[in-house]
This record gives sequence, C-alpha cells and structure tokens, in this order.
Amino acid sequence: MDNCDTVDSNGHPWLGRLVKVGLFLLAQGIAVLLVSFVALLVSFAPGWSATIEQASLLQPGDAKSGSLLLKEDGAYTQAIRLGIDVDITVSGPTLRTRVTQIFRNPTKDWVEATYVYPLATDGAVDTLKMVVGDRVIVGDIRERQQARAIYEQARRNGQKAALTEQERPNIFTNSVANIGPGETVLVQIEYQEPVHQSGNEYSLRVPLVVGPRYNPAPIVQSVDFRKDGSGWGATSSDPVPDRDRISPPVLDPANTSPNSAPINPTSITVHLKAGFALGEVKSHHHNVKIESPDNTTHVVTLADGTVPADRDFELTWKPVAEKAPSVGLFREHVGDADYLLAFVTPPSAEQATQKPLPREVVFVIDNSGSMGGTSIEQAKASLLYALGRLQPNDRFNVIRFDDTMDALFPTSVPADIAHIGEATSFVSTLQARGGTEMVPAMRAALTDTIGDTNMVRQIVFLTDGAIGNEQQLFETITAMRGRSRIFMVGIGSAPNTYLMTRASELGRGAFTHIGSVEQVEERMRGLFAKLENPAVTGLTAKFSEAKADVTPAIIPDIYRDEPLVLAAKLDKLAGSLEIKGRVGDRPWSVTLPLQNAAEGKGLSKLWARRKIGDAEVARTLREMTPEDTDKTILALALDHQIVTRLTSLVAVDKTPSRPEGQPLKLSELPINLPAGWDFAKMFGERPQLTPTQLRERRADAGQPAARRPAPVAPDAIRLPKTATAAALKMIAGLIMIVLALILFVFNRRQHLLTDAA
Amino acid sequence: MPRLIFPLALAVIGTILFGDGAYIHAKAWLAQVLLERAFDRSVATGRPVKPWSWADTWPVARIEVKRIGASAIVLSGTSGQALAFGPGHINETVDAGERGVAVYAAHRDTHFRFLRDVTIGDVIDVTRSDGERFRYRADSSSVVRFDASGIDPATQDFELVLATCWPFDAVTSGPERYLLHAILIDERD
Repeated sequence: MDNCDTVDSNGHPWLGRLVKVGLFLLAQGIAVLLVSFVALLVSFAPGWSATIEQASLLQPGDAKSGSLLLKEDGAYTQAIRLGIDVDITVSGPTLRTRVTQIFRNPTKDWVEATYVYPLATDGAVDTLKMVVGDRVIVGDIRERQQARAIYEQARRNGQKAALTEQERPNIFTNSVANIGPGETVLVQIEYQEPVHQSGNEYSLRVPLVVGPRYNPAPIVQSVDFRKDGSGWGATSSDPVPDRDRISPPVLDPANTSPNSAPINPTSITVHLKAGFALGEVKSHHHNVKIESPDNTTHVVTLADGTVPADRDFELTWKPVAEKAPSVGLFREHVGDADYLLAFVTPPSAEQATQKPLPREVVFVIDNSGSMGGTSIEQAKASLLYALGRLQPNDRFNVIRFDDTMDALFPTSVPADIAHIGEATSFVSTLQARGGTEMVPAMRAALTDTIGDTNMVRQIVFLTDGAIGNEQQLFETITAMRGRSRIFMVGIGSAPNTYLMTRASELGRGAFTHIGSVEQVEERMRGLFAKLENPAVTGLTAKFSEAKADVTPAIIPDIYRDEPLVLAAKLDKLAGSLEIKGRVGDRPWSVTLPLQNAAEGKGLSKLWARRKIGDAEVARTLREMTPEDTDKTILALALDHQIVTRLTSLVAVDKTPSRPEGQPLKLSELPINLPAGWDFAKMFGERPQLTPTQLRERRADAGQPAARRPAPVAPDAIRLPKTATAAALKMIAGLIMIVLALILFVFNRRQHLLTDAA
Repeated sequence: MPRLIFPLALAVIGTILFGDGAYIHAKAWLAQVLLERAFDRSVATGRPVKPWSWADTWPVARIEVKRIGASAIVLSGTSGQALAFGPGHINETVDAGERGVAVYAAHRDTHFRFLRDVTIGDVIDVTRSDGERFRYRADSSSVVRFDASGIDPATQDFELVLATCWPFDAVTSGPERYLLHAILIDERD
C-alpha cells in the first residue's frame, strides 16, 4: 500500500468507499456491454454470414465475371460499348450476311473486349475483317489452338487483334485486344447461309442474342463402354465443359433506365433478291420499312433505326404467284469442282384416299425459368391447341419438366374427352420456374411402353432449348429414338435453333418455330399438317453422269410442305439428277437436268458446312470415331475457310499500338435478356442496387446452374435441427466466470484495504 | 463472508454452464471413439452392433473426407439423442450407394464442423456397415430452409447429401440448413 492511499482512506473513509462502488459499477457496466454485444452478434450472425459466405461457397467457378466487374466499379456505363450492324443480301437460294460489330472504348484504359453472339445454325462463317482507323486487316483461318496462340501473342505485344471462335454451331465469340482509350474498332464477319423454305414461304432468321443457358451441374464422371464388348471405354465428366464461354453477363432490364441508349443497338438491312416476283414480305418481330427500287429487289430496313439486340429478326417472303416454284437448281464453280444446290418440294399426297394411321403423341412441355414471361404462354397455347387437334382413336400423354419432371399419365391414354379435359387443366396450371433438365424428360418421352406398331409414335417437344448440354440430349435421342419421331417446337424470341434442328434431324421429325402468341395457331396448324400427313420416305438421289459427293448422305424423310435440300460436289456439270421416293404409299420421282442450273453464290461453303454437320451427326450416332470426325471437319474447314469448333479466324494488326507497360483490361460485354424473358425468374429476386450486390448479381448470372437448383418436390425431406447449444452455454459460462473473478478481485482488494485501515 | 457469496455463486453457475457446453463436445468426441469400435465390429460381423448396451441406435456408415482428414461414424436415425453422438442417417432416405439420395445430418459445431472445409470436387468416401465402400464427389452446395430442403428422394441418380445448420458461426440455431450435394463416382469393395 502506498502512502497516498492510506492517507486518503484515513482522511475520508466514505469517499474511498464511494470510489470503490463506482469502480465496481463501471466494471459491471463493461460486462453488461460485453454480453449485449455478444448477443447482438448472435442475432445478426445469420444475416451477414449467409450473404458473404454463400457467395464464396456456391460459385466457385465464377471469379472471372465477378472480379472483372469489380474493376469497373460495377457500372456498365464505364465499360466498352458495342454497336451492331447486320447487312443481309439474299440472292436466290442463299443469303450472305455481314455483321459489323463496333467496339468503342470510352474508358481511359486499354481494353480487351469479348462478345458472345449467336449466328444462324447452318451459317458458314468465312470472313473476318478488322478495321482500325483507315486500315483493314483481313483474318486468316487457322486451327483453333493456333489461332488462339497468335491472338495471345499479339495481345501481349500490344498489337490490335481480333479472334472469331465457334462455341456452338450457333454461338460465336469475338475477342478484340488492345482497344485504346477513346478508340473505336470495327470487327466484321461474314457468313453464308441457305434460305429456309416451307411450303410457299421463304424465310431468314437472324438470331441477335444468346439466351442464358441452363448448364446442368457436373453430375458424375460416367463411363461409356464401347458396344463391342472390348472393355474399352471413355469417361465423360462435365456435361457443359465450356460453361464459362457461353455464359456472358446478362443485363437486368430493371437496371437500364428507359431513357438511356439501348445496349448493343443493332441496325438491320436486307437486300432481297429472291429471283422471282415477290408477293408478301413480312417481318415478324420488328417494325420494318420496305422499299423496292425495282421489281426483283426489295430493301428492308428497321423502321426505328436501331433496336436493342434482344430478339431474333425473322423475315418471310412469298412469291406473287399462288404457288412457289417447286424446284430450284443452282451451281457454282470453285477450284476444279462444281457445287450444286437443289431444292425440290415433293407433291403432297391426296389425303382423302388415305385414312391416317392412329397416332400416339407424347407432348413434352418445358416449364423451366427461362420459359418465364410470354414464352410459357406461347407454349401453353400451342399445347392446348394441339390437344384440341387429337382424334378419338389417338393416344397421348403430357410430360412437363423443369429441373423436375411429371408425366400426367403413367402411360399414353386414349384421347377421349375425359383425358383431354384432365390434360387441359394440367397444362393450364403450369408455371415457369426452376432449371432445365431436358435429358430425363426426353428419355421419358422416348420410352415406348405401348410398342403398338399399328400406331405412329410422335413426340412433340415444346422448349426454348436454353441448355448448354446439347450433346447429352443428342446422345439420348440417338440411343433411345427407336421408332419414335421427334418434332421440336421452338418457343420464344430467341430459341436455341441449333438444338432444335439437330434434335429433330436425329429424331427424324421436323422443327417449327413459334416466336409470338399470334404465331401459335398458324405454326401449330403447319406442324399438325406434318404430323397428320404421310411424309415422303425412302428418298434417294442419283446423278446420271457426274461423280458426286452428296450431303445429306442419307436423305431424311420429308414432311409436308418442306423442300428437300441437297448439296453436292461434282467433278463435272453434266447429265441429270434423279430423285426418287415414296409419297405415302405411291412411288414418286423427279429428274432435273443439270444444264439448267442457275449461277449461285457461296454454294461450296454451304456444301462444306453441311458436310461438317453430317460428320457431327455421324459422331453422335457413333458411326464415326471422334478422331475421324475431327480430321474430316478440319480438312473441310481449312479447305473452305470456315469457322468450326476446330478452326478460328484471327486477324492481327502488324503495328503495335499499346505502349509497353500500359496495362490491358478485360471487358466482357453484357448481352440483353431475350425479349419476353423474365429476369427475376432466371436469376432470382432483384437485389438493391449497391455495387457489391451488383457484383453478386453478375456472379449469379454467369453461373445460374453451377448451383444445383432446388427442385420443388412436394414431399421434400425435412431436415433435423443440427445445432447444439454448446457454444452458447460455453460463452455464457465463460462470461459468468470472468464476472465472478472481477467481483472476487474487487472484494479481495476492498478486504485488504479495510484490513490496512 | 456474505460478500463472497455472490461472486462464488456466479462462478459456480458459470462453471456449470461452461461444463455443460464442454460436455456436449466431450460426449460427441467420446461417442465417436466408442462408435468407431462398434462400427468395426459391425463390419466384421455383418450385423448391427450397438455401441453401448443402452443405446437406441447403431452405426450404419463411416464418412471420410481424406483431403482434410475428417471422419465420422453415422448413426441410424436423427433423433436428438442420436445426433448428440454422431451424424444421423435420415431414415426416409436410401442407404449410401443406392439409387436415390442418402441424407446424413449432423451438428455444425461437432461432427459436421468439417463441412465448412469441404470444397466442391472433394472426394467423400462412405463405408457402409456391411463393408461396402462408395466414393462420392462433392458437386454443389446450397443453403435451404429446413422444411424446404429441395431434396428429391426419387432422383434417378446416386446422390449423397450432407446436411448441417447454417450459418456455421452462429451461436443460436436457426431455420437455415447447409447442404453439400455429392454424387457417386465409384463403387469399390
């Protein structure tokens, strides 16, 4: 004890007491504060830890899009801007499209931009041009890895470079390196495509946006053993190995103010030279202006100048005469070979003489989240229409799927009034939600339980095809198709046309596209005409003199109003082409003299593109080994200068532009949500607009499926309580012990003091 | 000494509370030691073996995550009693290795504390009491409410779900559960 204290307590005993009591109260106060602070933490814990940790736990693979946007302060106004100009020239049976993408960099940094964009499924991309200032750099076709290496090299050297890669037959990526501050770079690609014909209607379609795809989570590394029992097999793991590459960030429409400039503004011009006098010309989803400088040419432009790239552009035209020409023959001479493109519309059989076979129809409807908005309405309307068209002696079933699936009936039932009524109410209550697990639904639809060979088995599959594991679906169809025929109905403003075409090709059916509610009835009527009328079967094509490499090698059955489209490479243009087949039960044949073929453009590329498609199909059907397929594709692609999954176009500006030492920032360009899609349905609730949450939103958008979607099972398992009070008890116990110690020390000190006194 | 009574009482209650909490951990740890033995006997004999005579549950499987050196013996059922000793196998779900989803649940602060360290892609080994071994790979995780687990018992795949309370660091129990989904990749004897 020091002196002062003693004196103090001697002099003013009550004062000392008071000080001690005060100190005690202070200690108590601190303890209470401590306890309440802990309590506060406890009560807040679920809130903060859920948001922060969940993000890091659930999206392991999305650091790319997430960190990217952080650099840009979460604001897209800072990011690179893009304008798109589409210029299409239709000349007879083919069309050539030039897509110009204008990359403008308003930032103060050097930027590398990547843009994921769709193209027509059967388009052959053969030209890449990059315009920097007044210089035009033309791209070369290279093997994909090699092209990538060239591009990376140029990127590091600070040279401007552009790279066009194919991600899917209908999804491409353009990367542009070293766009300087305030600079504008034009990237131009061109592709060749056949005109689509159905009945007397001709059409073209320009996909303008890649709908966000549902990429199933890696499920299991499965082993596929070869069928020959040799014991050798291959493993396949992730159903969508390239999920990062086809999942660009998507803009939430709610975040873009209506007054701001549209994202990815697009202008479209079509020069229409059909080769015959034109009747009705119609754009289905855009307002257009149509001018005709002369009789054979029409120029179609968008009425509003530019539109946001959020829906497919569809243009149809009809000849002025009642009936479209039923035959078209076009040729092109390239190198030492002649290429031929033939369109033949078989006559439709008189149905009156034939009683249609009873059918078993399985309707499959996609009610996943991507179908939200108007798509599900179109799908429901289509299905309801289809149900109404069934005949009493038909059998049918309805399967709906998202990431779960339900079959309405355990097996197909007669289409009587009671069953139809049940199906109608089942369909009417469907709502769009959840992921898109298409494979199990396709498997269920293909399971042929009745096996009645007197009935025609047809599957009508309504979907937007917004999945990334197309190959898995194709393999399912190949393995299980049996005698079923698959008719795909593409729904919405931006369906995955590649999936639809290939699936209906493998399923020996047809593909119909419905882009708006108004189109439902007309298109479904067309589809039913196909379903109800006998197809043209057993088709063969024979050239009398020329040696020909024909694609498709095995000609598929043709449905009503569809033309047979043949492409062939010939050693000489002589003799004739004879096509034989059966319309219903009657033989049919037609002979086309090759001398009458008209000059066409880009036919060789179309032929090569179709050969490549054939090779891919052969691989899916296991008729060709993957190595042989790759070899065939590579040879065709390099020969004909087209972009495939194995070849890319790359253009490099020889003069370096980015000064050494200046950093290069990467900018992934956002895409619009396809029109009619519901953002909340796709990516969950809208967050408050703070920068961090914006980042999470992007992360979410990039990876909608890496997280296993929670299927809505009615009899879901209830999980037990799995937290003990151990931590709580131990913390409370510790606090009390500490308090007791403090008290004890105070008492002891007081004791000593009084003793001393 | 009346002045000492208050702090003493406080200290006693505190110690009891602390001890109570520690007891939960001790019990969880000790039970696993006993269960380990019972499980080994169970594998050897091929019959369910109770870890101690009055136990109302028995070990059904062993979960191991080799990468982080975690291991736990799973008990049949998920009563509060069983969960105190080890992870429980939810009886409505299938056994590991069968078609469907096998769901194991355990306390986040004891047996499934290690779940926070399990990352996507980790291999989870499950040994059943009949000696069969199955290898799963963690492929996703999710946070759900206890009454909306989203687990589809009728799935066509061979799945495993490890469930525990979420968030890991909370002190009180809440309605949220953390699920780690895994998928069968390999079956071995």
